Amino acid sequence: MFQRRRVRLLLALVVAVAIALVTVDFRSGDDGGLHRLRGVATSVLRPIQDGVGVIVRPFSDGAGAVGDLFAVRSENRELRARVEALEERRRVLDDLERENAELRDLLAIADRTELPTVTARVVALAPSNFEWTVTIDVGALDGVERGMPVVDGDGLVGRIIQVTPNASRVLLAIDPSFSAAARTAQTGEVGVLDGRGGDPMVLRLLDPAAVVDVGDPIVTSSYQGGVFPAGIPIGTVAQGTEETSPLAPEVQVNPYVDFTRLHHVVVVFTTGVEDIPPFEGTDGFDFRRPPVPSLRDPGATDGGEDGEDEDGEGQGDEDDGAEDGEDQGAEDDGPGTGTDEADDAQASPPLRGAAVTGP
Amino acid sequence: MIARAVVVGLLLLAAVVLQTALFPALTLFGFRPDLLLLLTVVLATRDGALAGVRVGAVAGLMADLLVSSSPVGLGVFVYGIAGALVGWSRPYFAPTSLTAPLLLAAAASVLGTAAYGVLASLLADERVGASLVLQGAIAVGLYNTLLAPVAGALVRRISEAFPLRGAGTE
Repeated sequence: MFQRRRVRLLLALVVAVAIALVTVDFRSGDDGGLHRLRGVATSVLRPIQDGVGVIVRPFSDGAGAVGDLFAVRSENRELRARVEALEERRRVLDDLERENAELRDLLAIADRTELPTVTARVVALAPSNFEWTVTIDVGALDGVERGMPVVDGDGLVGRIIQVTPNASRVLLAIDPSFSAAARTAQTGEVGVLDGRGGDPMVLRLLDPAAVVDVGDPIVTSSYQGGVFPAGIPIGTVAQGTEETSPLAPEVQVNPYVDFTRLHHVVVVFTTGVEDIPPFEGTDGFDFRRPPVPSLRDPGATDGGEDGEDEDGEGQGDEDDGAEDGEDQGAEDDGPGTGTDEADDAQASPPLRGAAVTGP
Repeated sequence: MIARAVVVGLLLLAAVVLQTALFPALTLFGFRPDLLLLLTVVLATRDGALAGVRVGAVAGLMADLLVSSSPVGLGVFVYGIAGALVGWSRPYFAPTSLTAPLLLAAAASVLGTAAYGVLASLLADERVGASLVLQGAIAVGLYNTLLAPVAGALVRRISEAFPLRGAGTE
């Protein structure tokens, strides 16, 4: 009992002293006695701490090193994972950078064409080894139509040959069935560019005397139907005309486009110029037959009712000839397979034009 | 009796030195053990409330002057009360129990550290938040519990070499 009371008294005394110390410490501030006492105690203990520190520092460092070993291993794993993540991110950035450059080039060439365009992504290559086509992810819903040219940042890629609502197939310019009007950018020599199933392509020049040098750039020409806008880069001449036959001048063209690395392309919203209908079929066209000497009177010109009757017969004959020519042209796939009637029909329009434009 | 006081005083001083020179490199979750509080608890557990209050007051004063930057007297208050409470709880545990000292060390360390942190935040350091006090109390309680067997063995040897006599015993 006495002991318990003694403990209580001592505890009360300790609490009272503690509260007094706290109060004095608060009231005295940094210049008080307790603060100085703390400084003295620290000064006295500092040499002991230093001495003990020298003794225990190797042990603490060793213990710390053991702890650091696990930390270093963990940090090593973390850093390796981070390096892998950064490497992956760098690869993604490289791909994005390349894609960005491609899209910038596409934007530039789309601006050059000054025509509406739609950017597409190449989603599939040709299933056959003998078919140079790619499938893109835009289709009729995006406004794509058959025959539209396809380009990328380097130049001409091909043309649309098949359209579905959400995809299209592009015939590449290197496909053997591809053909396009082209010209040399420097001299303007025109010709027909054909694919050969790989590099290089062939440009058949129309002018047998044309001279083309190696390295001359080749661009599309709007003539011969105007399927492609003029000025789209195609490639450069790899072999000049002096090395080919002068009767059928052909030059080899190395394309600018790398057809093995097509990722993004642009479909240009333009189609070829439609065929102009024959003059005879045009509504409101006033056809007048040129003056023809009368068979009965060679010295007189026809201008009466007989002449009008003959006009009607003659027009009917020419209509037949025109129909023959059109039918034959529609049936034939290529030159050299036509008949004599077809040749006559193909030759007849200029004759009709000469007759029409007469007085 | 004087010899025991000197030995206990040196033990407390050694605890201060170790706490400030060795254990900063051996932190647990960023916290050091509170060896002064641990010695107070262990001595109170072995020798009773009176010894606990005495040692707690001295240990608290040493903590105020040498370890912490909190107001002087705060350690005296907390450690003294911790020593008394642990000493008063001693009769409720079996003398031969092995877990009782550990439980007392854990509970006293957690509560003592939490009380010290709360009072310090109220009186001086407003940056000490509740979550930090809770983390510190748990970490110090765990660390002191781990060191309690070592401290208990050391105190038992000192008590056997310099036993309490007379009114100091309970």
